[in-house]
Amino acid sequence: MISPRDIPECFEGIIPAMMTTCSLEGEPNITEISQVHLVDDTHVALSHQFFNKTQRNVRENPHASVLLFSPRTYEQYRLQLRFDHPESEGPLFDEMAARLQVIASHTGMVGVFKLRCADVYEVLSAEHVEGSLLPADPRVPRQERTEGRLEAMARELRGLQAISCRVNRAGCLEVLLESVLQALEEELGFRHAMVLLPDERGRLVTTASHGYGSGGVGAEVPMGEGLIGTVAARRRPMRVAGVGAELRYWRTIRAELRQAGNAPSAPEIPLPGLPDAQAQLALPLLVGDRLVGVLALESREPMAFDAWTETFLNILANQIALGIDRAASADDEGEQLPAAVAGEGTAAIAVPRTRVFQLFRNDDCIFVDSEYLIRNIPAKILWKLLRAHSESGRTEFSNRELRLDESLGLPEVRDNLESRLILLRKRLEEKCPEVQIRPVRRGRFELQIRCGVQLRESDSA
Amino acid sequence: MASIDPALVEFLSSGVVLGCASRDARLVPRSVWAVGARVEPGGEEVTVFLPVATAGEVVANLRDTRRIALVATAPEDHRSIQLKGQVLEVRPATDDERSLTDRYRASLGRTLEPLGVPRFFVLRIQHWPAHAVRFRLEDLFVQTPGPAAGQPFQGPFRPPEPAEPVRR
Repeated sequence: MISPRDIPECFEGIIPAMMTTCSLEGEPNITEISQVHLVDDTHVALSHQFFNKTQRNVRENPHASVLLFSPRTYEQYRLQLRFDHPESEGPLFDEMAARLQVIASHTGMVGVFKLRCADVYEVLSAEHVEGSLLPADPRVPRQERTEGRLEAMARELRGLQAISCRVNRAGCLEVLLESVLQALEEELGFRHAMVLLPDERGRLVTTASHGYGSGGVGAEVPMGEGLIGTVAARRRPMRVAGVGAELRYWRTIRAELRQAGNAPSAPEIPLPGLPDAQAQLALPLLVGDRLVGVLALESREPMAFDAWTETFLNILANQIALGIDRAASADDEGEQLPAAVAGEGTAAIAVPRTRVFQLFRNDDCIFVDSEYLIRNIPAKILWKLLRAHSESGRTEFSNRELRLDESLGLPEVRDNLESRLILLRKRLEEKCPEVQIRPVRRGRFELQIRCGVQLRESDSA
Repeated sequence: MASIDPALVEFLSSGVVLGCASRDARLVPRSVWAVGARVEPGGEEVTVFLPVATAGEVVANLRDTRRIALVATAPEDHRSIQLKGQVLEVRPATDDERSLTDRYRASLGRTLEPLGVPRFFVLRIQHWPAHAVRFRLEDLFVQTPGPAAGQPFQGPFRPPEPAEPVRR
């Protein structure tokens, strides 16, 4: 006998399980199920989007049996179950429904159908199916594998400590975000990560990213949409393992609906970040109950993020959240910034090229040479700077004067000015490197222009 | 009495995942991974192969109650069909039948490898010796996830749907 807790990887939904029930007339029934949810030491739950034979059977004969497969070892495990009760509300139901909708959103199936109920089963016994596989390579003793895991945990703990120190040392928001993402790769091997911060429109804006090349910053996710939006809305971490398998499962349902003449009209939406991600983890960055951002990680390894990863990264997420909050509220002028942020030089060397900035007033949106640059408050800030430079030749500005300028529409409290300036700076680096914003001291920055600038305004495109 | 069309015969002998279900006299169900299936001439009987190493209690149930269910699922797109019937015979698989289970294992490996399951795992599946369980087919059900899951299978068995383009 084992405990379901001993085999957490079997409940990640990477390899489908087989569920067997029996009708009161004695007719066995077997079907594949995409995921068994581990509720606690003695209970599991199954989600039902359609009323089916499994549900009918266990309501007249509560006995059930499920075969699970370990995605690490491919060993089989058998749980003998007894149907306990259905749930159509409450934390377990909400958790399973949210997970369902996250995957559904990637296949254009949000709202097509919802979780009908979560059936909770008591686990009567759990056992390893002995003899399903021929013996493993005897050259790798079990003892060594166990020690390997302990070593990995020690390495993860050291990594956590190192990242925690970087968070603590970061003098400003930009250094904080960039050093954390860098350290996630260096210390823990997570190569693809991003931090998204909420804006005044209820959207999450990618403010720092690592492992996605030069693009990515500025990408937006609506609150409540997809994994990141759902994590932000629910303020709870979520992870999806075996994304490829999940997408295949949902694409099949979509094809079946199409076959039945009920094709969902929404197109399939690509995953954020990596197009071929196999695992995703998103953690809310919370100060109390207040959302200050989302940390999102992706991997091409289906099992890159397990329950352990989620737990220890949540500790880190709490520290990052406090760091973001601290950086947002620290705005004293005069303190010297780290050299990496302050920039190398200030001389504006004019070159013949002229860049045309076009403001569309109705959309608060700026294009540079007909290519989209930035919108909303960061766009208003940029326009203010460019106009001041054009009219008086000014190059140095302060955060305080931006805060006092009501035309920018910054909220009176928690205005996230730092994160907006980071976003603006990174978008300029990507789309118009001849125009730069460089912090010079805490709370002050310089506009550096190395080209001719032409400003145009119109109401709309 | 149900029978099986040629497309379904081919499906069952391809690299599909096979699960065999039984129940005991107290209506407690139990299942095991099967390692091959063969549709008998005439299409009204099926023989399924169950590893001796893992199928002990399932085989005991099948001998005792005679009720059997077999699900075949294509791992690459989850197309799935369930067969139900009455067990006619349970016997040790013969040496001649070993090649069928060998072929099944190789075929399963070819299906699973592109999905990230390493070939060494498939080669470790304990598939021999095996029980051969012959049953008379009574019902066929669609088991593909979706609104039609659990409905009686009307046939013919259709090929996988072409993938819809993903907007990027």
